[in-house]
Amino acid sequence: MNSMRMHWVNCLAAFGLVVGLTAGFMGASVAQSVAGQAYSTYVNTPAASSGQAPLAVLPAVSGTDGAEADAQGSALSVPDALSSDFLNSITSGEIGTTESGAQSTASAAHINILNGLITADEVIANVMSRSTASGAASNADGSTFQNLVVAGVPVTWGDDVVAPNTNMDLPGVGYVVLNEQIPSGDGVTSSGMTVNMIHVYLQSAGGLLGGATTTGEIIVGSASSSVGP
Amino acid sequence: MMREQRNVIVWPSLLAAALVAAACSDQTNLNMAPHRPSFWGGVEECPTGKWTGGGRMDPPNPDFDDGATGTSTLEGKVTFGFNVFLGSDGDGRCIVTKGEIEVNHHPSHTSWHVSIHNGQDAYGETVFAELIDPDASGRGACLLVGVDPITARVDGNKGTDQVQMELCDNDRGAPQNSRTDAMRWISTGYGDTDLTYLTGGNIVDHGS
Repeated sequence: MNSMRMHWVNCLAAFGLVVGLTAGFMGASVAQSVAGQAYSTYVNTPAASSGQAPLAVLPAVSGTDGAEADAQGSALSVPDALSSDFLNSITSGEIGTTESGAQSTASAAHINILNGLITADEVIANVMSRSTASGAASNADGSTFQNLVVAGVPVTWGDDVVAPNTNMDLPGVGYVVLNEQIPSGDGVTSSGMTVNMIHVYLQSAGGLLGGATTTGEIIVGSASSSVGP
Repeated sequence: MMREQRNVIVWPSLLAAALVAAACSDQTNLNMAPHRPSFWGGVEECPTGKWTGGGRMDPPNPDFDDGATGTSTLEGKVTFGFNVFLGSDGDGRCIVTKGEIEVNHHPSHTSWHVSIHNGQDAYGETVFAELIDPDASGRGACLLVGVDPITARVDGNKGTDQVQMELCDNDRGAPQNSRTDAMRWISTGYGDTDLTYLTGGNIVDHGS
């Protein structure tokens, strides 16, 4: 009789263990895809253009693996649009059993945009995305401007952060978005972040209904990362 | 992708069926002797594994819990990225079998790069590694790359430098910022950041 009772106790215990294990597997799943890229500068204006440079793109990562990519440029000059030096782009990503993630960094120094309209000693764009059993999240911690001046107005003294998506007018030119942050994902199984430290939108009057139309853009310091199911 | 999701469902289901079937069968002969894994012997082997990460740090900002000295001779903004694979050499010593490391020190406009293939850097030196404090302290684990300093290219191909890197994954599998990760970069030519908490980014020990 006792033996029979033990048999069913074992049976029920095993069933409970299996239910718990299965729930654990389902809840503990982490991201199975990661992506990242970074570049220091991009110019696309009616007068001049320069592609995303130096561009670092995370190679495909599958299974439980990791990868890193980086690119450097000593200096860049696009007449009347942008000059900068010490250009660095890095991205890395990994897929693991308990954690997956991607992180990207882009930087540029001695920045001069539109013949002194915007200057900065340096900008660093830094983003990371991460997925664990507790969810997915991204942030742009570590993204800063050093001695940023916009249209003659000092915005940062020394190395400092600027509130995300700070918009400043550039009379006769358009506007600039500082620390432009573009999030993505559901925060549970996916998350992503793109940060453009300086994003100039060139505009001209005469658009539909008398509004302004965007005629070009300049980006300095762009980093992206994402994790997904 | 779909295959992986399907596997997540299929394998637990097979496991469930097997466990329940075994428990419900009329087994009468249980072996209660302790079962130990075949490698049991009390000697810790060099772990295989992979470490990946990147971000920014701003020394001085010492991680004393993991052994920072409190003295930084290489200060200011540092950005970095890396991906390293661990293994063993013929003598059982821990090495980095392959990897890439990029580190930028912004105040001095200096960049270092290390490429590792077949256990050696680009100058033929074996890249020894050591896992530090892989215990159950709850403080995560740290990895030293370059137990014997390795050679990095500086600013492209303008020169070389002897370097070491220490990485600490302090929030393994836990919510972000449970405890901030840390990194140390030692350069013979430029100085030592000390073991420094990251300002942003992440360091991940993502296993074998």
